[in-house]
Amino acid sequence: MRPIPPLPPTSNAAPGTVPGFRDLLPDEAESLRAGQEAILAEMRRWGYRFVVTPTLESVEALALGLGPEQQRRLFKFADADGSLVALVGEKTIPVARLAAGQLRSAPLPLRLCYAASVVSNDGGRFANRRETHQVGAELVGAAGPAADAEVIALAVHCLDAAGLKRYQVDVGHSEFFHGLLAGLKLPAEVETGVRAALAARDFVALERLLETTPLRSAERELLLRFPALRGGREILDAAGRLVANRRSERALADLARVEELLREHGLGGQVNLDLGAIRDFDYYTGVIFEGYGADLGRPLAVGGRYDRLLERFGRPAPATGFVVHLDLVAEAIARAGGRPALPQLDAAVAWSAAGVPVALKLGSSLRLFGMRAVVDTESRSLAAARRWRGQVGAQSLVHCGGPGPVTWASGSRTRRLPPEQVVAQIVGALR
Amino acid sequence: MKVSLAIPTGVLLEGSLSLLERAGVARVTAAQLGRRLFLERDGLRLVLVRPADVAAYVDHGAADLGVVGKDQLWENRGDHYELVDLGFGACRLILAVPEASPIAGPETWPPLLRVATKYPIATAEFFRRTGHAVDIVRLHGAVELAPQVGLADAIADLTATGATLRENHLRVVAEVGHSTARLIANQASLKTRSGEVQALVTKLRSAVS
Repeated sequence: MRPIPPLPPTSNAAPGTVPGFRDLLPDEAESLRAGQEAILAEMRRWGYRFVVTPTLESVEALALGLGPEQQRRLFKFADADGSLVALVGEKTIPVARLAAGQLRSAPLPLRLCYAASVVSNDGGRFANRRETHQVGAELVGAAGPAADAEVIALAVHCLDAAGLKRYQVDVGHSEFFHGLLAGLKLPAEVETGVRAALAARDFVALERLLETTPLRSAERELLLRFPALRGGREILDAAGRLVANRRSERALADLARVEELLREHGLGGQVNLDLGAIRDFDYYTGVIFEGYGADLGRPLAVGGRYDRLLERFGRPAPATGFVVHLDLVAEAIARAGGRPALPQLDAAVAWSAAGVPVALKLGSSLRLFGMRAVVDTESRSLAAARRWRGQVGAQSLVHCGGPGPVTWASGSRTRRLPPEQVVAQIVGALR
Repeated sequence: MKVSLAIPTGVLLEGSLSLLERAGVARVTAAQLGRRLFLERDGLRLVLVRPADVAAYVDHGAADLGVVGKDQLWENRGDHYELVDLGFGACRLILAVPEASPIAGPETWPPLLRVATKYPIATAEFFRRTGHAVDIVRLHGAVELAPQVGLADAIADLTATGATLRENHLRVVAEVGHSTARLIANQASLKTRSGEVQALVTKLRSAVS
């Protein structure tokens, strides 16, 4: 007799999500969505057209804009024909590809915006969030302070539209840094080290590297004081007295103009100048900025000018833009006390016996007025319907027992009224 | 809101408290801290955490600033500003072998050197720089035991005085890294509360001997 094989081990745990990826439940998902819609609506008011680019791009295309470390973080796999594709980790490069490709005959400047979730195959400190949700805008084909100021002003308005109460935007310039570095005339290997140290925000290593240069210039000191080169307009004058190279001087002049224009945009209090702003200096070519919330350790929005990206796709054009990290914005809002809790539903419509037609008609009428109404799918007594209303979390309950008057319960009051009057009451009550 | 500073328990605690005192920031003794995990004093909030956790507190913004050994930063590459070399807590990460081992300079290393360490990232980086193949065994303690029982050819471990090495009859063959205490800062704190945070950084920097 053959032995009966043992049953395969069974697991009671339901399949979960991949580490670093998670579900958003209704409260959080709706809050994120509300933030996204508010930001997109603001972008639309500024004339930015919404585009959708694919979730997958060829690694070849993405590599035109990403550094080696960012390329390493892509989720890559092979397409059916063996070519390498990746899930996008950011949307600026696909939008640049689009602006230089299918939109190449569209007149410049182009104002484009997008909303997407992007993924990063990151094993670092924030590896528990490998998928993030972003909204961004790109202004392609416009150079100069007016364009820089426009996207910064738009970013500020977007944070405001998303419902943030306290935030600030720090504006810097990558050419200020490039000018300082070129002015130091460091040996190539030291310069590589300086760039790496700044990218890692390691000022101890930076100081060591610069100690090897005999020159004790004011520009060297500026580089060492990078994290403290922050303030209002006065910081530009202070820095202007210390720099002695054309690139940095031009950057300071640019920033002065952008700062003036931001005042004309009606922004002053929320904007600071930060000459020590560190963003990816190989990518950005001009004015850069970061938006911060009150108590969150990371920037909520980042952006800047990237004039060398589009030419890699065959259409040389200046460009600037930014991205808002919706997850972080939602987190900042939640920490600050959250949005006012809205009732999820305006009305729960229950029925019993021959009440179905009245209930369906009542639901339609309420929705016609923009109310959120759910109609029950099974017959219930009034007592059972009261419990059901609690479960679905509706502002009021309507119970339809047949043709004619219905029972309407709102707050602690219960009345019997004709259906039309109940609709009028519910719609009117919320006006 | 008060500026918060994360300081590590363990060997860097005394140095951190003495730095705060020299800088005229706060006078706190280890005895006063006792078993408390945080303390508010003179407009400063001190958060006492394990050495390996300082960077996490700072990166996530739970502390504006932190005092942490560079050795911890090697292993937890985070998202912060490393601002000042505080000078104290000096130690070396060294590659050591048993006294009787034939291994000495790089020319004597076997084609694949097996190294036991609590610092796998810094060790791997060192061998990447030297271009030598390495097989790293990550341990959590008592690293000096590994070569004695044949688990590894060598160890990479921290040493301040060399006493532990001598006790275990180990001989240094190379220096992998050099560590001191560092002052690190949260990237957003430097922007959103730059006045208070920069003022504290300046005081601490000026107290570095």
